[in-house]
Amino acid sequence: MNLSRRTLVGAGAASLFVPALAFGATTSKRLVVVVLRGGMDGLAAAPPVGDPAYASARGVLAQQKAQTLALDATFALHPRFENLHAMYRAGDAAVIHATCTPYRERSHFDAQNVLETGGVRPYARNAGWLNAALRALPAERAAGRRELGLALAQQAPLILRGDASVATWSPSPLPDANTDTVARLMDLYGRRDPGLATALQSAVAANGIAMDGAGLRAGGRAIAPVTKAAAQFLKLPQGPVAAVVEMGGWDTHANQGAEAGQLANNFALLDQGLAALKSDLGETWRDTVVVVMTEFGRTVAPNGNRGCDHGTGAAAFLLGGAVRGGRVIADWPGLAPNQLNEGRDLRATTDLRAVLKGVVRDHLGVSDANAFPDSAAVRPVDGLLKG
Amino acid sequence: MSLDQAALAANRFGFGARPGELRSIAGDPVGWVKAQLTPERAPPAVIAALPPAEDDVLAFGRFYVSQRLQGENGERMEQRLERQGVSREDIQRLSTEDAFRQHFRARYDNATKARLDTAFATERPAFERLVHFWSNHFTVSAMKPQAAAMPPSFEKEAIRPHVGGRFADMLVASTKHPGMGIYLDNWSSIGPNSRWAREPRSMPRLGFGPGGRPTGLNENLGREILELHTLGVNGGYAQADVQALAAIITGWTYDRPPARYYFGDEKGTRSGAQLFSFVNDAHEPGAKTLLGKSYPPNGVAQGEAALQDLARRPATARFIATKLARHYIADTPPPAAVDRIAQAFTRSDGDLRATMTALVDSPEAWASPFVKFKRPEEYLISVMRALDIKTLPPGVGANACGAMGQVIWRAQGPDGWADTSGPWLSGDLVWKRIEWAEALAQRVSRADVDPASIGEAVLGPLLSAETRQAVQRAESPMQGMVILLSSPEFQRR
Repeated sequence: MNLSRRTLVGAGAASLFVPALAFGATTSKRLVVVVLRGGMDGLAAAPPVGDPAYASARGVLAQQKAQTLALDATFALHPRFENLHAMYRAGDAAVIHATCTPYRERSHFDAQNVLETGGVRPYARNAGWLNAALRALPAERAAGRRELGLALAQQAPLILRGDASVATWSPSPLPDANTDTVARLMDLYGRRDPGLATALQSAVAANGIAMDGAGLRAGGRAIAPVTKAAAQFLKLPQGPVAAVVEMGGWDTHANQGAEAGQLANNFALLDQGLAALKSDLGETWRDTVVVVMTEFGRTVAPNGNRGCDHGTGAAAFLLGGAVRGGRVIADWPGLAPNQLNEGRDLRATTDLRAVLKGVVRDHLGVSDANAFPDSAAVRPVDGLLKG
Repeated sequence: MSLDQAALAANRFGFGARPGELRSIAGDPVGWVKAQLTPERAPPAVIAALPPAEDDVLAFGRFYVSQRLQGENGERMEQRLERQGVSREDIQRLSTEDAFRQHFRARYDNATKARLDTAFATERPAFERLVHFWSNHFTVSAMKPQAAAMPPSFEKEAIRPHVGGRFADMLVASTKHPGMGIYLDNWSSIGPNSRWAREPRSMPRLGFGPGGRPTGLNENLGREILELHTLGVNGGYAQADVQALAAIITGWTYDRPPARYYFGDEKGTRSGAQLFSFVNDAHEPGAKTLLGKSYPPNGVAQGEAALQDLARRPATARFIATKLARHYIADTPPPAAVDRIAQAFTRSDGDLRATMTALVDSPEAWASPFVKFKRPEEYLISVMRALDIKTLPPGVGANACGAMGQVIWRAQGPDGWADTSGPWLSGDLVWKRIEWAEALAQRVSRADVDPASIGEAVLGPLLSAETRQAVQRAESPMQGMVILLSSPEFQRR
């Protein structure tokens, strides 16, 4: 813990996640979105080992059924998802399969743009659906918070950009700055540069809180340190309602491996990150929904480099104490050649927006049409949550 | 004499002034920029001394071999190497030492040092900024392990010689360079109807290194050429064009060094252009139709012609003009300036000097100082120039950039680093700049170093009264230095 930063928070230099008003019932609900960048191979994460076409369609990428972690008659989890599998069995995790945003081309950046804006077309707007949902949060839930969202990143990703106020935080390898110097800069920025002033205010406040997470160091590809930090913010009574964690390394065009290998290692890091989030959230886990999603799936057949290319239907995970889990939610289109999209991709039969709309409505109490533009025809999925 | 125009020129077109430099710019700030838009006669000595592409290829290969020897199939790998004439002793040395990992890190530290030291000390900062701009436009990122050693030789061989030259030449050089080929997978992409695909047994051993035997088309580079290098994502192409371009550049690969090169002290000597190889047996035969135009079968010339045509498309002119205007003028580029720059690009057939001249002649570029927020690397460079520090030890500058959010040559994806303030002007990154400025100030501050006069020397009339006052009222020269280096005028350009 760092005393100087906390002192600044207490002195009122900034008030991130510190109650702006002293009253109030405020929501204990928390939403965490984990964005997997690069197109995670859903057929590797949650292999449909019971699909008769699975082994032949996937070729060198097919996993041995006996090594996978069984979910139901059709689906399993990759062997490295041990913690996620335990959550599934405990009824706290669900797999959404054959899902995608409405985007049907194959550019990462366009697809991530659609995933994060919640829209139909890329670059249609410059704000994220999660920000829009936070902006539309019922007043009694927003009460007592200045920043409603938090990006565990050096830069707020598009999904969190917009009118609602959000903060960013990531671990620092540098020594702390001097308190008095920071106060003087705050004053200078206040006079000269509103953009810098806002940034510095949120930084000062965020640091005070994150330091409560133990052993936070920058560097490495593991996301557990990041999800642990997220947990420190989220479990504060006036903590952010939503947090975003990002993880890259999913664009497996070459040598992705099957039960073991490059992609398996990434699954293990993700699995550890999710487990760390659960354990550090403690009681808050009960009120939490975690969405793990990616911009698109990958081609069914391996390519010439023992990897696979950009596809369509993907897998997503919902987990958390609030999730009605222990099930795979999918209208399974099948892997036989005549069942594929353009003869190459898993078809997307569940609009990812329907899932997100269901979560946002039932967990955050938000039905605002602005969060997912042009989606009137996309009905939210009912019953994703317990109770 | 215009000191404020000089300060703007130094900040926006260069990397910030060194003490004394503003006076020499002030006579003709526009001319000062334009004089630097010509190609350089020879690269700076530290850049020239960087290893060529073949050595970068070997660097990754050595790391890969050492990892593999320690891995599950290490024994089989040893046997295979012995069969290829590598001595048992060399193999043992490699598998017991972690020296190659160190070696890898040392290469990165040395190459980033060359890039940064050049920018700290150069008399042609406007040229150097353009090198950084184009290197980012054609991103080869070390985020991909197989490409981890490649960015320095790529920047040196494919980008630098064409800054101030023709865009089409840079595009061809980039596409042929093994750095790009490895980063976006094209080196192993083969046509579905090529001889190698039809008769896999005809495929020779592809030398040594990572990656299995290629068996198919890989669209990655074809797509990114259209989306990121030329037309831009809304440039009017379809998935069929992506596939056509990918097919056109099948067989564009590189000579892989023989296995024995991965051991001992053998140095790679060939540049990317020398390493480039067109393999007709891997090339998709026949004519291809790209953007409505048919390209007859013509070996490597088919792809060269397609790239030349792409460079001439109006969408490319517009995309490049927009990116340049965003980099130099404002996050939301003024449309009139974009039009002018795009016209210059088209009129000059993609001459980058003429294109930049149109930008420099745009009144918008000189209108409002400080609308652009510096990225961490340019921030670091401007600080070093202001303090007249011409060199840093290997790794120090790169680590500083990394701590502030920008690990040099490791952009997240092939779209490179964002050129808008949004991603950089976050609480977290602003905080890290202040932390870094403080750590630096503790090292450089002395009683006889006056931060206020440094501020005046490098920012001239652009130093605001508020910042000057905050610096002067600091409790120590050290604190004054932190405030100066963290001031809005220093963080923006």
